[in-house]
Amino acid sequence: MPQLELLLPAIVFIPFAAAVLALWLGRFAGQRTGILMVLAAAASFLGCLQVVTAGASLGFTREWIPGINVALSFRADPYGCFFALLISGIGTLVGIYSVNYLPALTPARVSRYYAALLAFMGAMLGVALADDLILLFIFWEVTSLTSFLLIGFWYEQETARKGALTALLVTALGGLTMMIGFIIVGTTTGSYSLRALTEQAALRERLVGSPLFMAALLLIVLGAMTKSAQWPFHFWLPGAMVAPTPVSTYLHAATMVWAGVFLLGRFLPIFGTSPAWAGILVPIGLATLLLGAVEAFLDTDLKGILAKTTVATLGLVTMLYGLGAAGQDALQMFSHAMYKGALFLVVGIVEHATHTRDIRDLGGLRHKMPVTFFLCVLGALSLAGVWPTFGFLAKEALYAQLLAGTPLSGLVPSWLLLALTVLANALLFAVACRLVFGVFFGAPTEAARHSHEVGPGLWLSPMILAGLSLGLGVLAPATSAIVSHFSSGPGTRLTLTLAPDHLGPVLLSVGTFLLGFGIYRGRAVLGRMRSSAPGAPTMQALWDKGMDAVTTAAIGFSVRWQSGSLRWYLAGSLAFTVGLSALALQRAGISVFQVPISLQEMTWYGLTLCGMLGFTAVMVARSTTRVGAAIALTSNGFLTALLFVVYRSPDILLTQILIETVSTIFLLLILYYLPVFRPEGLPPMRRFVNVAVSVAVGATMFSFIMLSTSPQFRELKNLGVDYLTRSMAQAGGANAVNVIIVDFRAIDTNGEITVLVLVGLLVYGLLRARRKSA
Amino acid sequence: MTGDPILRTVSRFAVPWTVWVSIVIFMQGHNMPGGGFVAGVMAGAAGAMYLLAFGTAKAARFPWWKVSVTGLLISVTTGTVPFLMGRPYMQHAIWHFDLPVIGLYELPTATFFDLGVYLIVLGTLMTVFVELAQEGR
Repeated sequence: MPQLELLLPAIVFIPFAAAVLALWLGRFAGQRTGILMVLAAAASFLGCLQVVTAGASLGFTREWIPGINVALSFRADPYGCFFALLISGIGTLVGIYSVNYLPALTPARVSRYYAALLAFMGAMLGVALADDLILLFIFWEVTSLTSFLLIGFWYEQETARKGALTALLVTALGGLTMMIGFIIVGTTTGSYSLRALTEQAALRERLVGSPLFMAALLLIVLGAMTKSAQWPFHFWLPGAMVAPTPVSTYLHAATMVWAGVFLLGRFLPIFGTSPAWAGILVPIGLATLLLGAVEAFLDTDLKGILAKTTVATLGLVTMLYGLGAAGQDALQMFSHAMYKGALFLVVGIVEHATHTRDIRDLGGLRHKMPVTFFLCVLGALSLAGVWPTFGFLAKEALYAQLLAGTPLSGLVPSWLLLALTVLANALLFAVACRLVFGVFFGAPTEAARHSHEVGPGLWLSPMILAGLSLGLGVLAPATSAIVSHFSSGPGTRLTLTLAPDHLGPVLLSVGTFLLGFGIYRGRAVLGRMRSSAPGAPTMQALWDKGMDAVTTAAIGFSVRWQSGSLRWYLAGSLAFTVGLSALALQRAGISVFQVPISLQEMTWYGLTLCGMLGFTAVMVARSTTRVGAAIALTSNGFLTALLFVVYRSPDILLTQILIETVSTIFLLLILYYLPVFRPEGLPPMRRFVNVAVSVAVGATMFSFIMLSTSPQFRELKNLGVDYLTRSMAQAGGANAVNVIIVDFRAIDTNGEITVLVLVGLLVYGLLRARRKSA
Repeated sequence: MTGDPILRTVSRFAVPWTVWVSIVIFMQGHNMPGGGFVAGVMAGAAGAMYLLAFGTAKAARFPWWKVSVTGLLISVTTGTVPFLMGRPYMQHAIWHFDLPVIGLYELPTATFFDLGVYLIVLGTLMTVFVELAQEGR
């Protein structure tokens, strides 16, 4: 059905269209622009549902840049559709939440918020559904850019600016390496299509056999790691928590940070056969999992805690992909998105009500905010993996998988892997305890006393997510079918159940709870241990140092290179041009010494003119006043014009005379405003460089003219003959010079005249502005 | 800046004459020495003569920068029309007209591009002249 096929680009581009509309509409609608976001997200969601029910083979391809095999192509495989459903579904909920969450701002600000959020959503949907790697890369970079705008939404705060910039630089850096990886894949296999790469073994073999295979793997994995905040790039995610809470929920819990992991899932069938794949991903995923869990437990900022648990889960899924256990991806992603989305939104409500996010300032909120309390408990239960939530199913499945063994194995022995995973889950359990007990139990704090419960507009969205966290756990058989269908692992059959039939996972779960509770009870001891531990340099500090070094180097270079001295610029560009020309002549193996120069051919008037030209040139250099130099320069120009009389070249003669006239007027106009010229004593070195550059320029020009007019070098002359013959035939003009300008080389002229117009406008603008200010 | 009486008297004839020559040079540019660039410079030179003779007051009232921007629009449009018709950007054609009295007249579309060049050169030169000349006031 061709109509259904068109749904794929529609799903992606509806949010973009809505973004443009939001920019315009926001001026009138203000806060209500959010409704547009809800509608657009819901439309994309329904489109995705339609696509899912239609089946997996749906694809949309249009020619885009056929010269390099790049196509505008989308595909609807179950895994991509699943990600798209999550993106648009949570987008809808975040839209509803945002309408009630955003404080009263200027309409322009609100419209920018929704426009960025909508564009982000469209780009994410593009990442999920794109089949072409270049298309995917473009959407990927758009998510980085829009997330920069969203993280820096409170741009009055320095932390927001810094967090946004760090996030952008880290993810864009990874995006660029990823692009190089994509290009390697595309050029070695001849295809940029993910579907073709996955399905055609011949293409994969060509890639694996290529010497650049390892480079492609590393570059693409690096891109995924930066986007998904894997160690050692994990630091940008907590820094990005300065964003408004709906943004954090959407970008940093449910969608954008999953893009990297999603990409790993896409590339597992392509790269999975290499031992490097597991060797890199398993240790890094495990390190990220542990680090995230530990840091989450020790943090005091509610959003920081949640961000770090997200880092942990991202590490977990990276590890699973490293182990080749793709069957789990949809399950882990889905369960995480539900409870983490709910928890983030709950934190947003708490901050909204109490104006603080610091867990040390919070406590005893359960009486004041019963609904929020209930929602938080639901989310936390799933985070902790307690029966009968969705999180429980996910954790049991994870343990079962690790116990049963995995298709690949990284450098980490499996018993250690299992032990560390249990430890990380125990830490997450402890984090869940902290969230519930730290915020809602205990004596009400100062901040808690002024709080109040919020309206349904704010708790509707977390209610749906938390409800799904519980409901999908209770309805385990249905959930099994869903996550098996949507998983990227081929032929996945997960049987999730609330009544486990194997003892192993259950024992591990019990162990996790006990250990987690122990960690929670021992939190005071752990906190003291941390504060007494020597402060190792964090990745954030190292990154900052690196950025500072780059800035310092750039400034140092600019100050030296862009010194502002016109002479330096002129000498530099001339020397470069001359060097390049000399190189070209040398490569061609021709030199001016091959041209016989006979004095007989130079008539007496030719020699006289040359002598006068030389004399005026020396006068320019020797002159002690500006006017003197200007006069000498002008004489030189008009004498050159005489040269064209001698050689009967009326075109250039005309141009030369006019240009000389006009530039003399310019010179005189400008000289009037310049300070009195004082001959200065240049240091010998500078003098030498100036003379050397001048002589080199003269020698090169001389060589070129001699060579191009010498009958010995026919091939150089052919260009002129060629133009003369083609001029009349192809452009209907006998004046080859003008035909070259307006026809053969019209695009060059186009560039030149544009520059000319800009120069005119600049002079106009600068001088007008200067006069006005004076 | 006001010129002396001799300059003014000469300019009264020379300026229009130079402008006329510049137009002729422009029109014949496709086949004989000339073209938009040279003609533009010549018109600019005429403008400079006018400024030297009669001062900047009158010339400054005219928005010269608009002349160059118009020129750019004309040039770019000449290039864009074939592009929109599915041919390469800046591909020119030659139009043939069978006019009364004159007979067969050949007009390359490159002439429009050249007209843009003429206007740009003239506009930019005059902008810079007028602005620089006004600096001293």
